[in-house]
Amino acid sequence: MPCFTFYIFNRKGACQYYHEWQRLKPVRSGAGSQEEDFKLMFGLFWSMRALSSALDPKNPAKQQMGAPQRIGDGCSFNSFRTSAYKLHFLESPSGLKFVLTTDPSVGSLAEALQYIYASLFVELVAKNPLYTPGEPFLFEPFSAALNKYMRTLGLLS
Amino acid sequence: METINAEIFTLTYGSMVRQLIADYEDVEEVNKQLDKMGYSIGQRLIDEFLAKSKTQRCADFRDAAEKIAKVGFRMFLNVTAAVTGWNAEGTECSLILEDNPLADFVELPEQLAGLKYSNLLCGVIRGALEMVNMEVECTFVRDVLQGDDANEMRLKLLSSSTETYPFKDE
Amino acid sequence: MFQSKYGSTGIVDKPFRPGKQEVALSAFAYLFSELVQYCQSRVSNISELERKLDEVGHGVGLRLLEVLAYRERGQRRETRLLDMLKFVHSTLWRYLFGRQARDLEQSNTAEDEYMISDTGGVPREMGHLNPAAFVAGIVRGTLDGAGFPARVTAHYVPVPGQPRPKTVILMKFQNYQAIMQRDKQQ
Repeated sequence: MPCFTFYIFNRKGACQYYHEWQRLKPVRSGAGSQEEDFKLMFGLFWSMRALSSALDPKNPAKQQMGAPQRIGDGCSFNSFRTSAYKLHFLESPSGLKFVLTTDPSVGSLAEALQYIYASLFVELVAKNPLYTPGEPFLFEPFSAALNKYMRTLGLLS
Repeated sequence: METINAEIFTLTYGSMVRQLIADYEDVEEVNKQLDKMGYSIGQRLIDEFLAKSKTQRCADFRDAAEKIAKVGFRMFLNVTAAVTGWNAEGTECSLILEDNPLADFVELPEQLAGLKYSNLLCGVIRGALEMVNMEVECTFVRDVLQGDDANEMRLKLLSSSTETYPFKDE
Repeated sequence: MFQSKYGSTGIVDKPFRPGKQEVALSAFAYLFSELVQYCQSRVSNISELERKLDEVGHGVGLRLLEVLAYRERGQRRETRLLDMLKFVHSTLWRYLFGRQARDLEQSNTAEDEYMISDTGGVPREMGHLNPAAFVAGIVRGTLDGAGFPARVTAHYVPVPGQPRPKTVILMKFQNYQAIMQRDKQQ
C-alpha cells in the first residue's frame, strides 16, 4: 500500500513543500513543469471543495457555486478515490492545505494528516527559526520525520 | 504542554529589548520592531494554537477575541486576559492583562517613557489573526510599566476577508 | 544612571516572586526564533550572529546570577573559582535545563580552561547556527557578574556511537593567575 506524493500549500496557493516517493514519470521529465503540477493540484482541491459544498444536501442555505467563502465555511472533503490513486486532503483553520496521494486501497488518513499538521509541521517547521511563514521550506528533520511516520503507517517500506 | 521557568523567558525578552534599544537608539523604532517580531511570531504560533486547542474554524471576531484571551494566553504564557469594552458593532474590544509575564523584573527609566515594552504581544495577536483572515489593529492603551493601573490592549477588527482563488482562469 | 519616576515605590519594593511560574516552552522557542532572525538581519556572517546571541545571553546570565544567588544560595554568591564552576555546572544548569550538566572538567592542555559538557538539553543545531552560543552567553554573563570574566565558547563534539553530538561549553578565564591568587587569600 504505497504512498505516492505529498504537498503542503499555503493560503495563497503557493506550494511550500513537495515530496514524491513514487511517481512513474517525475513531473520534471514529463510534460509540463513543477509549477504547473502545483497549480493543477491546487485547482483540483479548490474546485472539489467549492463543488462539494455547493451541492451539500444538508445545508439549507444553498451556496452559490464560486461564492466567496471563509476557511471552514460549508463542508469540506477528506478524500476521493480514483481507480489509480486516492487523494487525502486536510485544510487547517489557518488555510494550510495538506495533500497526500496513496494507493486507492488505503483507508481513511484524516487522523494521520491531522497528526502531520499538529505534530510534525507545528513542531519541526513552524518552530524552526529558519522558517518564514508562507514560504517554501526544506528542513531535514521534517522530511525525516515524515518518512518515518509514513513507514509507521505502513505506507512506505 | 512542555513548560520552562518563566524567568528565563522574561529575562531573555528583557535582554532582547535591551539589545533593540542599543541597536536602534530610538524608542519609536524599537516599538515598531517589537510589533514586527510579534507579528512574525503570531504567524508561526497560530498553527500550534489551532492544532492544540482543536479549533476547527474561526470566523467570528467576538469568538476569536475570547479564544485569544482565555485559551491563547493560558496556553503560551500561563495567564489569562479579560475581554471587555466591546463597541456596539462588535468590532472593537479590549484585552486586560492582569499579570504580564514579559514585564516581571522590569522598571522603565524616564528616558524610555515612550517605550511600549510589551508591544510584542500586540504583534503576536495581529499576526495570528491575519493567518485566519482577520485583519486587526492592536495597540497598548494602558501599561502598568508606564504608571497606568492596568495592562490594556485595544483590538480593532479592520476587515475580515474571504478566500479567493489565487490564479487567473485561463 | 537611570532614575525611576516612581520614587520609593519602585520595583525593588515589590515582593520578590517565588519563581515557580512557568510558561510554555514553545513560547520561549518562538521568542528565540525571532531573536535569531532579528540578529541574522543585522549581521553578515554566522560568527557575528553567534556573537550577537552571546551578547543577549550575557544580559540574561548577569541577571540570572542575581536571581539565583538571592534565591538558591541565601544571598551568597561564590567567590572561589571551583565553587563558581560548580554553581554553573549544577545550580545554573538545573535552573536552565532541569538537571545538572553531565561533566565539569579542567582542560588537559591549558590550566585556565574549563569545560562543561552535556548531551541534549541545549537546543538542537539549526542549520549552520550553533544556538548554544546563547547558552555560552548566559554562562559568560553569570561568570562575569560573579567577578570571573572569561571567554566562553560553545562547541559540538561528536561522540562515537551516539547519534547526537555533545555540547561543550569552553571557558577560558582571564587573569587566571590573579584568580588563583585571590582563591588562596580567602
